[in-house]
Amino acid sequence: MSARGASYEAQRRRFVRLAMAPSLLFLLLVAGLPTVFLLVTSLTPGALVNPGSLGDFSEPLRNYRLLGSDERFVGSLGVQARLSVYTVVLQVLLGTGLALLVHSGQERWQSLRHLFVIPMVLPPIVVAVIWKLIYTPDISPIYQAARMLGVTLPALTTHVDFALWSIVIADTWEWAPFTFLMVLAALQTLPAEYVEAARMDGADAWRVFGHIVLPYIAPVLLVCTLFRLIDSIKAFPLIFLLTGGGPGSVTEVTNYYAYLVAFNFGELGYSSAITVVLLAATVLISWGAMRVSRHAGGAE
Amino acid sequence: MSSNRMRSLRRRWPLARWAVPLVLFAMLLPFLWLLQMSFKPTPLILEFPPRVFFMPTLEHYVGLWQAGFPESFLNSLVTSIVSTLLALVLGIPAAYALSRWTGRGRFGLGLGILLTRMAPPIAFTIPFFLAYRYLGLLDTRTGLILIYMTFNLPLVIWMMQPFFDAVPASLEEAALMDGAGYATVFMEIVMPVAAAGIAATAILCFLYAWNDFFFALILTRTDARTAPVAVVNFMNYEGWEWGKIAAGGSLVMAPVLVFSMLVRRYLVSGLTAGAVKG
Repeated sequence: MSARGASYEAQRRRFVRLAMAPSLLFLLLVAGLPTVFLLVTSLTPGALVNPGSLGDFSEPLRNYRLLGSDERFVGSLGVQARLSVYTVVLQVLLGTGLALLVHSGQERWQSLRHLFVIPMVLPPIVVAVIWKLIYTPDISPIYQAARMLGVTLPALTTHVDFALWSIVIADTWEWAPFTFLMVLAALQTLPAEYVEAARMDGADAWRVFGHIVLPYIAPVLLVCTLFRLIDSIKAFPLIFLLTGGGPGSVTEVTNYYAYLVAFNFGELGYSSAITVVLLAATVLISWGAMRVSRHAGGAE
Repeated sequence: MSSNRMRSLRRRWPLARWAVPLVLFAMLLPFLWLLQMSFKPTPLILEFPPRVFFMPTLEHYVGLWQAGFPESFLNSLVTSIVSTLLALVLGIPAAYALSRWTGRGRFGLGLGILLTRMAPPIAFTIPFFLAYRYLGLLDTRTGLILIYMTFNLPLVIWMMQPFFDAVPASLEEAALMDGAGYATVFMEIVMPVAAAGIAATAILCFLYAWNDFFFALILTRTDARTAPVAVVNFMNYEGWEWGKIAAGGSLVMAPVLVFSMLVRRYLVSGLTAGAVKG
């Protein structure tokens, strides 16, 4: 029996190896190798106009030294930080509010909850087109309505003070449903006895929320925040279509700056260095997200 | 929290009972605006106050058909479907193996897969752009399909694992006792049980590839241009053709809306690459 068991074990091992190998090899090829390639490119002054420059390692840390004194790069980090904080805070608040509204709403509206996720599943570029419609004065219903009332609205996406907010609003619209979906799922698993017991003790709605509901959904909120934070580093279609990073560089986040440097200026080496910084930030936050979501999962 | 307080609130404010549909409508208004615009005759598009009732027209969709949009739509379909199938063929056995893997290193592997999903697209775009320029894969469907594998393969591996976890090991052991090989057990016993999971995963993969804008923007020009890039190209001329833009946008989002309603249960685990079970 033990001999047969051992042969099963050997068979199983062989099967596992065979099943894993193609995927692992493929992932190494399409994800591992490019990452190494990116790191290597970031050590060169590589430019598209100068073919030899991609293999020039005479001054490997030059790009990273330049980063510190590049005002546009440092500025883009600030824009990125502001955009991330504004959008994540607004999304989490709005998404939680929506979830509470639908959860406490009447039974007959329950089936509508699926429609709340529409903004999130739309192709990001379609979301950008939708907001382009809203922000373009010639065609936007909002601008037309304002004109009828005799008010002239500033062009939001080209105004220094409002451009970043126009992105924040569109991004919040797109991603509040993510928090909504996660929080609603958590609320539906909240044991009703907890709430009832607190009510019996005379707690009002605010105290029930603060002492029972909020602690219960807190891990989910943390996970939402981290995941949206990671994703906010990737913000691209909205900025590409609505502001193009402008006016000036008011909405130029780091990701967009890296795109411009690589594919408009052709400075692939320098852009790789910027991207490596972004990647490092992503690794840090992802690692945190992974730890946190394991803890959140373990608590359930 | 529908307590006495809520009830008294409703008595004072009759609108409160309609809060959910009203908020939903306000939220979806921008989306509905694009949709109605795609069916509006050109002279009415700029009219304000907007007409709620009008004779819908397909002129913008017909215009798209003549403006070379079908080629881009086809490119989107081909690259999304092929990258999905390829990811499934490679990823499903790996997911199964990982699900039966009792050894160490699961956290590391999980983090690796999550990172591949979370990395900013530009991190892959620069190396792929350089390699494709060398290999002549720029502006080809093959090139797009390969780069879509960077997010679809990890997605399959991570999404399918819980489905395989749910297949009882005793089922496999019984078949092995009867003398079946591991490959047979996998194909004939495990796969049918996980069919629903495979369908959901396939749809999510398709959606991710379909929604891509960044990779297609940089790695394609004309021949392999996908539908999302084509829609944006309607904005590059003098006097934007808003009717066509709206119709193109509606066409790009149509399959997404249908499919995402089908897999709504799995949206969360798909979006978080399985780090959170929805």
